[in-house]
Amino acid sequence: MERQTTTGRVVRVMLLTLVGLFFLFPIFWVLLMSFQTNQDILRIPPSIFFEPTLGNYKALISGRLESTAGVLEIRFMNNLMNSVILAVSSVALSLLLGIPAAYAFARFKFRLGEDIAFTLLSFRFAPPLLVLLPLAIYFQQMGLIDTYIGLIWVYQLITLPLILWIVRGYFEDISEDIEHAYRLDGNGWFKTFLHIAIPLAKPGIAAATLLSFIFAWNNFVFALILASADKQPVTVGALAFVTASGIQYGQIAASIVLSVTPTLLLALYAQRYLVEGLSLGAVKG
Amino acid sequence: MDGSRRPFMRKALPYLLSLPALLVCIGILIPFGTAVYYSLQRYNLAFPMTRGFIWLENYTLLFTDPAFWNTVRVSLLYTLYTVGFELVLGLGIAMLLQRRSLFNNMMSILLLLPLMIAPAIAALMWKLMTNPGFGILSYFASLLGFPDFKWASASSSALFTVVLIDIWVYTPFMMVLLLAGLRALPRQPFEAAELDGVPQSFVFFRITLPMLTPYIITATLFRMLESIQQFDIIYAMTQGGPGNTLMAFQVAAYLERYQYTNVGRSAAILMVLWAITFLLSNLFIKQWLRLRERARGMG
Amino acid sequence: MSYLVLDKLKKRFKNEIVLDGASLDVERGETVVVFGPSGCGKTVLLRLIAGINEPDSGTVHIAGQEVTYLAPEHRDVGMAFQNFALYPHLSAFDNIASPLSARGVGRAEIERRVHEVAGLLKIDHVLHHLPKALSNGQKQRTSLGRALAGNPGVLLLDDPLRNVDAKLRYEMRLELPRVLKAFETTVIYVTQDYKEAMALGDRVAVLMGGGFRQVDRPAAIYKDPDGTDVARLFGDPTVNLVPGEIREGAVTALGARFPLAGRLADGACQVAIRPESITVTLDAASPGGAMPIDLGIGETTHAVPVELDAVTPLNVRAVMLLRTVDGRELLATCSEDEASRLPRGHGQGQAHIRAADLLLFDPGGRRLRPGERQ
Repeated sequence: MERQTTTGRVVRVMLLTLVGLFFLFPIFWVLLMSFQTNQDILRIPPSIFFEPTLGNYKALISGRLESTAGVLEIRFMNNLMNSVILAVSSVALSLLLGIPAAYAFARFKFRLGEDIAFTLLSFRFAPPLLVLLPLAIYFQQMGLIDTYIGLIWVYQLITLPLILWIVRGYFEDISEDIEHAYRLDGNGWFKTFLHIAIPLAKPGIAAATLLSFIFAWNNFVFALILASADKQPVTVGALAFVTASGIQYGQIAASIVLSVTPTLLLALYAQRYLVEGLSLGAVKG
Repeated sequence: MDGSRRPFMRKALPYLLSLPALLVCIGILIPFGTAVYYSLQRYNLAFPMTRGFIWLENYTLLFTDPAFWNTVRVSLLYTLYTVGFELVLGLGIAMLLQRRSLFNNMMSILLLLPLMIAPAIAALMWKLMTNPGFGILSYFASLLGFPDFKWASASSSALFTVVLIDIWVYTPFMMVLLLAGLRALPRQPFEAAELDGVPQSFVFFRITLPMLTPYIITATLFRMLESIQQFDIIYAMTQGGPGNTLMAFQVAAYLERYQYTNVGRSAAILMVLWAITFLLSNLFIKQWLRLRERARGMG
Repeated sequence: MSYLVLDKLKKRFKNEIVLDGASLDVERGETVVVFGPSGCGKTVLLRLIAGINEPDSGTVHIAGQEVTYLAPEHRDVGMAFQNFALYPHLSAFDNIASPLSARGVGRAEIERRVHEVAGLLKIDHVLHHLPKALSNGQKQRTSLGRALAGNPGVLLLDDPLRNVDAKLRYEMRLELPRVLKAFETTVIYVTQDYKEAMALGDRVAVLMGGGFRQVDRPAAIYKDPDGTDVARLFGDPTVNLVPGEIREGAVTALGARFPLAGRLADGACQVAIRPESITVTLDAASPGGAMPIDLGIGETTHAVPVELDAVTPLNVRAVMLLRTVDGRELLATCSEDEASRLPRGHGQGQAHIRAADLLLFDPGGRRLRPGERQ
C-alpha cells in the first residue's frame, strides 16, 4: 500500500482524474450553462467557448422572465429567502433545544433520556412520508399549513437528532472532573454548562450545526407536502420553476447554481467540521 | 442555606433540560400513531362517505396486488445497485486517497461537493445534461454510438439513470467514512506484510478488508436505509415513470395519496416500508454505536 | 464541634458498598491524611465532602453547618484532582484565578492573589500558558494553586502526587507541608503511599472495609497499630507476622519465649515483628565469620537460629531474607554499612529480636494490649 512505483503512480493519477471528472464535471457544466444564452446552450456540438452573459441571473433576481410566450413572473428569490429562513431558524431552534438535552443525556444517565434519544434517532431513519401524511391533515386543521412555524417545527425531525447525537458524544468526552472543579470554584451548574461544557464541545457543535444546516437546506419532501407556494424553499421552487419555465434552460441552470452555492461554499469553508460530522463520530479531528 | 435535605431541583434538572426534546419526540409519535390508524382504515379523500375501520384489509389488498410487488422489486433493485456500486467505488476512491498529502486532502474535499447538493437539485442538473435536444451526456452517448439514448425517459434505461445520479450524489459519503476508517487502521500489520513481501492482493483481502469491516457494515447499512426510501431523485427525475418503472416505496405512497387520494392504502404502503427501515435502523444504530465506542477508545 | 465532621457516611454504587459508616472529626487547620488500599473508597469520601456525590445516609458538617446535600459551589471547599482536571481552554493564570472570579473578586486583587499563589508554587513564569503546554509537574502545581487560590475552609487533595514522576514527588513531599501551613487551611489528603502519609499528615486516618480503622499521629500508627491489617499497610518491607502462644505472662514465638510487660489471657495469638527490630549475627562456622553486634544498653533480646537466604541492598538500608528452623521466612533490615559485612551467599546465624518491640494480636487480627504497657 505504501509502495509507489512509477507505473503505480501513473495509474493512480489517471484513476483519480477520471474520478474527479465524474464527480465535478456536472457542477462545472451547469455553472457554464448558467452563463449561456439559450442559443449557446442549444448549439450542437456543445462548446465551452461562448460569450458569457449575466442575463439568466438578472432575470432570476428581477423576477421577470421575458420570453417569446410573454412575461413570466417568477418568485425564485422568494424561494431562496425561504430556504434561508427555514434552514437558519430550524438549526437555531434545534441548537436551543438539542444542546441542553444532549448535555442532560450525556451527564445524567437516565432512562427517559435514553428513550428520547433513541426514539428521535430511529425516527430520523423512518420514511418521512409516514409522519408527513397525517401531519399535512393536522396542519390544515391547525392553520399551520401556510406558516414558517409549522415547517420549522417539522424540520426538527431532521436537525434535532443530528445535533443531539453528535453534541452528546462530545459532552461525554469532557472529563466530569473538569466540571466538578469548576463547580467547586463556586459556580452553579448553569455557569459550568455555559463556560466549560459548551466551549469544550465547540468542535462538535460546529460540526452538528454545519451538517444539520446542509440537511435542512437540501430537504425536499417536507416542503413539497407541507409548504404553500409562498413558503417553498429552493429545492421545491426549482422543480416548480422547471415545470413553469419550460425551455428557459439558462435560467434553470442559474437557479440551480443559486440553490447549491450556499451549501457548497459552507462545505468548502468549514471542511474540517464537515468531515468530522459526516464520518458519524468515527473520527475526531 | 440548608444542606440537610436533598433539593428537589437537582433531581428534576435532567428532565427539565430534555423537556423540549421530549415534546418534539411526542410530536413525532402522535402523527406516527395516526398513520398506523389510517393504514387500518378505508380512507379515500374522494369518497369520504365510505371511510371506516377495516383492520388489515389494506394490507391484504396490497400483498395480492402485482403493482405492490413491482414497488418492492424496484426499491430492492434500486437499493442493491446503488449501495453495491457506491461501496465498491467509495472503497476504491478511499484507497486511492489513503496516503495523507496536500493533493489527496484537497481531492477528498472536492469530491464531497456532490453530497452537499440537494438530491432533488442534483436530479435537475442531470435532467439538463441528459436532455435529448442539447444535453451534454446525450451528445456523449451519440458520440459513443447511441444516438437515441433516452436516459430516464425510456423504461429500459430509467433505472440506470437514477442509479447513476444516486451514485453521483452518495458515493462521496461512502468514501468519507471508509477513508476515515482506512486512516484509523493500525500500521503494524501493513508494515509487517511489506517486510515479508506479501503480495498486494493478499494484503487487501486478508488485512485491509477484515479490519475495515466495521466501517463497511456501518456505511452500507446507513446507505441502505436511505436508498430503500429514495424519493427526491426519482420524483424530481420522472415522478416514478415512465409507466411504473421507478415506482419505489415512497414514490408509490406519494402518488397513492396525492393522485389517487387513497390515504389508507398510502399509509399501508408506508407501514410496510417502515417495518423494513425499523429493522435496518436498529442494526445500523447498534453498529454505529459500536464503531463510535472504538473511535473513542483510540482517541 | 470539630471544623469538619463526617458522621456514619454510607455510600453504595450499584451493589457494591463503598463506605459503610465512615466517621471522622478534623480540627481547624489540621492536615489529615486518608490512607488505605486502592479501592477502599478514599476518592468517594472526598467526593462526598466536596458535594460531587451525595451519601446514601450519614451527614457532613463543615464549620458547624450541615452540608450533606449542599451543592459543591456553596461549600467553601477546594479540591485538587488526581488527574489535575485543568480547564483546557483557559491559561494557567485563568485556571488559578477561577475560584476568585467566581466569588466576584476585583481584577487587581485577582492579579495579586494569583501571583502570590503562583510564586509560592514556583509557576510564576508559565502563567500565560494553556494547560497542554505545561509539563506534568507544572500542571500539578497549577491544579494545586487553583484549589488554594480561593483560600477554602477545607482543602481536599486527591492523591495529587500520583501522576508526577519520582523526583518531583520527592520534591513536593518536602515542599507541600510548607505551602499548606502558609494557608492555615484544613486539609484532607488522600494517598496510597504510606511514606507520603507519614510525611504530610498531622494525623493519619486509615480507611479500610468501608470505615476508618484507626486515626492517629503517624508515629503512633506505626508503633501502635490497632490490627494486623493496619500494621501490614505501614512499613517497607512489611511487618513479619508469626503465630505465637501466650502462657503465664510470656509469649512463645519462633521457639523463643518473650516475657510480657503486662497481663494477657492465655491462648493462641499472632506476633508482629518489625524488620528493624531484628538484628542478625552470624555463627563463626558460616562464611564471613561471626558478626559482632551492638545491641544498645538495657534491651532484652532473644536469639532465634536462622539461615540467611538473601541480602538486598536498598540504598541506605539492606533487607535480609531469613529462614527459621521450621522453614518460616522473616524479613529484617540493617544499615548498608552493616550489610556490607554480610556474606553474599547463605549463612547460619542468630536473629536477635527486641522483646519490647513485639506487637501482639488475637487470631482474628485484633490488637492485644497487655495491661500495664505504655
